[in-house]
Amino acid sequence: MNKIGLIVEREFLERVRKKSFIVSTLLTPLFMIAMMVLPSVMMFKGGSSTKNVVVIDNSPEQFVGKKLVSGKTVSFKLLDEGEEIRNARIMYKEDYGILVIGSDVLDNPQNIQLVLNEASSMSVEENIQNQIQSILRTERLKRYDLENMDQILADANVRVNNIQTLKNNDQDDDNMEKTSTTASWLMGLLLGMMLYFILIVYGQQVLQSVIDEKQTRVLDVMVTSCTPFELMMGKILGIALVAALQIVIWAVLVIGASAFVMPLIMGGADVNTAMATAQNMSDPEIMSLVGKFTNVSYMAGLFLELLLYIVGGFLFYASMYAAIGSAVDTPQDAAQFNGIIMMPVIVAIMVMMSVMNDPNSDLVFWCSMIPFTSPIVMMARIPFGIPTWQVAVSLVVLFISFFLMVWVASRIFRVGVFMHGKKPTWKDLGAWIKMK
Amino acid sequence: MDPILRIEHVSKTYTGHQALDDVSMEIPRGSIYGLLGPNGAGKTTLIRVVNRMTIPDCGKVWFEDHEITPDDIYQIGYMPEERGLYKKMKVGEQAVFFARMRGMGRFEAIDKLRQWFDRLGIIEWWDKKVEDLSKGMAQKVQFIATVVHEPKLLIFDEPFSGFDPINANLLKQEILGLRDRGATVIFSTHNMESVEEICDDITLINKSHNILSGSVEEIRRKAGGNTFQVLYSGTNEDFCAAITGKANLIGESEGVIGGYTQQKIHIPSDDDVREVIGSLNDKVKLRSFQEIIPSMNDIFIRAVNGTL
Repeated sequence: MNKIGLIVEREFLERVRKKSFIVSTLLTPLFMIAMMVLPSVMMFKGGSSTKNVVVIDNSPEQFVGKKLVSGKTVSFKLLDEGEEIRNARIMYKEDYGILVIGSDVLDNPQNIQLVLNEASSMSVEENIQNQIQSILRTERLKRYDLENMDQILADANVRVNNIQTLKNNDQDDDNMEKTSTTASWLMGLLLGMMLYFILIVYGQQVLQSVIDEKQTRVLDVMVTSCTPFELMMGKILGIALVAALQIVIWAVLVIGASAFVMPLIMGGADVNTAMATAQNMSDPEIMSLVGKFTNVSYMAGLFLELLLYIVGGFLFYASMYAAIGSAVDTPQDAAQFNGIIMMPVIVAIMVMMSVMNDPNSDLVFWCSMIPFTSPIVMMARIPFGIPTWQVAVSLVVLFISFFLMVWVASRIFRVGVFMHGKKPTWKDLGAWIKMK
Repeated sequence: MDPILRIEHVSKTYTGHQALDDVSMEIPRGSIYGLLGPNGAGKTTLIRVVNRMTIPDCGKVWFEDHEITPDDIYQIGYMPEERGLYKKMKVGEQAVFFARMRGMGRFEAIDKLRQWFDRLGIIEWWDKKVEDLSKGMAQKVQFIATVVHEPKLLIFDEPFSGFDPINANLLKQEILGLRDRGATVIFSTHNMESVEEICDDITLINKSHNILSGSVEEIRRKAGGNTFQVLYSGTNEDFCAAITGKANLIGESEGVIGGYTQQKIHIPSDDDVREVIGSLNDKVKLRSFQEIIPSMNDIFIRAVNGTL
């Protein structure tokens, strides 16, 4: 036990003292925030490149063209009646495109063309489609010549934004917690990605560390001073401790931000409203998200679950990485085995993406129980409010599997560290596990 | 004296080739034991068997009075041929780490290590990183890390490779010092000069077999085969008459040096040596009479070629 402690200490100090640790600890959250905020900001500010569309309207009295409204995405320029499309195609080459509306458009709405000078854009097409659709609908209704037409139209124009979702609480009718699917999904995505990051980045470090030691022959000196099991556990736990320190630093930063910085920002709500508009989120949604972030005890609980999944998931994956590192001589040789480890991780990422559709589908449920995928998938589910028993069962399964995996890995490790030269096959690994 | 290490009928086969075939030997306590052999003979495999890094197919290794156990490993200091140190770690810190891995306390380790560093003249490198050291200096660090916890048995794989003559000599003195303080030393080497200088006993392994074992002195004397070099002045006839019946000439006389004739002779029986000297002394003017002891280098080559 004492020796494991020594190895843990060495591995931990070697990594934590590096400048790259401090840099990555501070830069990763910034990078993640940038990844989340930048697309919204760019979408929001995207108006700078308004597309100019020239309109040739052959409909009676140009009733469509006259009602098209220019906005941030598209700006319309209606040409005089009888303008030839051929001329327009030559004259307006610099513009984004030419919209040609057929004379019988009211009865034949398919008779609309958009001639493009540039690559097509979904948002422009959508904008034009929606506008024309609404113009045609109004025009067709008018054909019935009803009384109070304008009032009826205004009244019928109803829009349902995001539904307010509440978490069922049969004890207390008045204080049901507001939830938000979008907010939960964003949070789940963030947590899932974080787990993925830790499993892969730090798992690879275990692999690299074992291979390095094998290559520099430090391993020969080490295994004559301790047992292979002590060496393996020392390495895994040492690197786990580095990961844990990093998480704790992030937790402190985030909780600190929740407690002090977020309320300050909420005072001048400009940034948030901007973001809400950009992402089509209604006010209750953004409030729910901000509400969660500013709830210190909720955040602390979340980090505890995160920590448990990171510990379990990391030890599970790291022991596989350690076993592979011990069995091969070079990182190149490790690639083949590495690919197999990555497969469940990729499945987990894909399932994580589908969590938003239904956080309780069979696929998602089972993937959050199976230890190969459970850390990532379950972390993505937790913000949606998952029954505690599910989290508990999943954690128990994960920790039992971790012990089994450590046992298997240590059996491979104990043979693998002494092997040089030949790249082992899967069959060899199997034989090493069974070896007395 | 009882042997500290006994290797009994050890065999090890890797896929396709036999690394060790029924090798046995005994390492006397407190001796310096040379493990010799050409490249690929199986020396390193044997060392790895002793270190329990390789499990032999059959055969046993005894340490002191019992079959070797994992715990005995900590009584053994091992310096592998391909030196292994953590490149990014500071020298002193690393040495302390290895010392503590072998059961020393932190302060005891620092204390002892500083003495060693001082003695080998690398104390000013204590806070440098290993990657900044020259090869020779890294070797010294490795050497210290191997011996600092004062194990009963030390195993060095090619300890002198990479050292200049001055440092090689420094290391030799340290190895002799370790033996004098009670340690048993096994080292594998191709450097026969160092074997003559410091080894008490050797084993020569060739093609996975133990082909020659024993004390260095005995082996050399035996390999000499009772041949002697005589320098004398006098006639050839007188010389032959003096040795007749007791000794044979080996080849022609090897010429005259400063008025003295040089001649090799073979005396089959040890008991006759004194008589031969006596009768030679009567018949010719004897200048020198010397037993020819072959160098370990010769013995090595002859043994490996099967002409010993």
